[in-house]
Amino acid sequence: MRALLIGLCTALCLSALGCGGGHDGTSLSTGLGGGSPPAVSNVVSVVVDAGPTSTSLDANTLFTTVTVCTPGSTTNCQTIDHIQVDTQSFGLRILAPALNLALPVQAAGGGASLLECTVFVDGYSWGPVALADIKISGESASSVPVQVIGDPNFSNVPADCSGQAPTEEDTVAAFGANGILGIGVFDQDCGTTCVTTADNGFYFACTSTLCQPTTVALAGQVTNPVSLFATDNNGSIIELPNVAEQGAATLTGSLIFGIDTQTNNASGTETVLTVDPQAGYLTAIFNSQSLTMSFIDSGSSGIFFTDTSIAQCTDPSFSQFYCPASTLSLTVTLQGANGVSGEIGFSVDNAQTLEANNPTFTALPTLAGTYPTPGSFDYGLPFYYGRRVATALENNTTSLGAGPYIAY
Amino acid sequence: MLNARSAMNVKKCLVASGVLIAALIPCIAAAALGEPEASVQTDALQLRGSIHVTEHASYRLHEIQLPSGTLVREFVGADGKVFAVAWRGPAAPNLRQMLGRYFEPFAAAAGAHRTGHSHLQIQTGDLVVQAGGHMRAMAGRAYLPAGVPNGVDLGELH
Repeated sequence: MRALLIGLCTALCLSALGCGGGHDGTSLSTGLGGGSPPAVSNVVSVVVDAGPTSTSLDANTLFTTVTVCTPGSTTNCQTIDHIQVDTQSFGLRILAPALNLALPVQAAGGGASLLECTVFVDGYSWGPVALADIKISGESASSVPVQVIGDPNFSNVPADCSGQAPTEEDTVAAFGANGILGIGVFDQDCGTTCVTTADNGFYFACTSTLCQPTTVALAGQVTNPVSLFATDNNGSIIELPNVAEQGAATLTGSLIFGIDTQTNNASGTETVLTVDPQAGYLTAIFNSQSLTMSFIDSGSSGIFFTDTSIAQCTDPSFSQFYCPASTLSLTVTLQGANGVSGEIGFSVDNAQTLEANNPTFTALPTLAGTYPTPGSFDYGLPFYYGRRVATALENNTTSLGAGPYIAY
Repeated sequence: MLNARSAMNVKKCLVASGVLIAALIPCIAAAALGEPEASVQTDALQLRGSIHVTEHASYRLHEIQLPSGTLVREFVGADGKVFAVAWRGPAAPNLRQMLGRYFEPFAAAAGAHRTGHSHLQIQTGDLVVQAGGHMRAMAGRAYLPAGVPNGVDLGELH
């Protein structure tokens, strides 16, 4: 996908994110000011664009802007754009080069610092757990454990971390964003396993010479900020406009916090798919196969599934993407753990042709490719195009029922 | 069929580990994929997991339950060598340990071909690695196509 996306970044600074503000500017918190009562906003703009660098994977990547402050401060704050919005991770992570604040690193006992190894399938991200006050739209949460990725003060990555994935993703270019906002169905990135088990793969207690696996209480784990907001804390909704089949240069939509907490996030007649409470999987039925390890993921850049009848691209730059001779119309049935199901129609276009026709487009609803492991259908950001998709957190209930669920 | 010698090696190593873990090191290789069956013991030690072994028609299956909740499976052919490893669970296992000498070529190939956070497919030299998932839900496998015994469906290797 690199070839598809090279050179896009320079063309794009037209989103509501205000690229001109940049991730390197420290801004003062605006406060209430002015005399007119502030709107209680639970909505933040989100955008699909080429991201903060021209070298990363940029197709179908959703970004927003987040303000972080040192705990308790209303002035020592920074607003950071191009934070990826990810419904299949949990917690806020910021790349150190994009962060100008010195956030307090959490201790892990015995003079050690608490470090984390965040593992995505394609890479690992290493850095300390620090506390930050987080402000997004009118929502705020205090002293939230976040991860600072690629902090030069903690550059020795233990083998137990670097062995978990093939590539180090500790720079903005390698990560493809200035940070990532994990707002999936779970409250913490690890959960109860890390409370009881030191060899959890996530957390390490590090001195200047030694890192050892460690347990971490739930409250000390990197935490989904939505769950810690004072209000509107039972989930979120991503709403994006429809995109024409050939794609769009950029796309702007909304991330709305809370479900059934305000007039703008009321539930209606959505299809509610509960997900399994351990892994967050739902079931996809595709080509008569029941794929029980499937998921909807704003952090995936296409629609990824296995169908050996669809031609794959021949250009090595598009390896593992689909390149059918003409547009395919397919259907998949998504089924929740609650047995509720819904049929979804989608199109698959030729990835090479999409790129050739509109090389600067970043929102590509028909971009699809193979998924390497059996039993999974990974319905990425294109699922959100033209939909209003709610993510209800675990341990919460809305008028549609108990989380964790996805509703659309 | 599995030969008796590899089974004996496993037994020796188990005995050694009971006496002194350091004594285990000389009798086994450093990592699993492509290595003798005894190396599974090293994996279990390094990954701090417990092993359960079952016999199948064309291979012997070692299951290593990791403390993280992730299950690792290592497939050993009649030649006594590990031809596939697979994993599934909340955290990725230490792939450098499980892939051994295949890890660096895997990492190099993965770095050169990025398809995003949610999945990965690498075919390089005599190695195939396929992985997918997201935070709290990782799954994947690595295998040596030339080492897969005749009659074994790739679908079994998970």
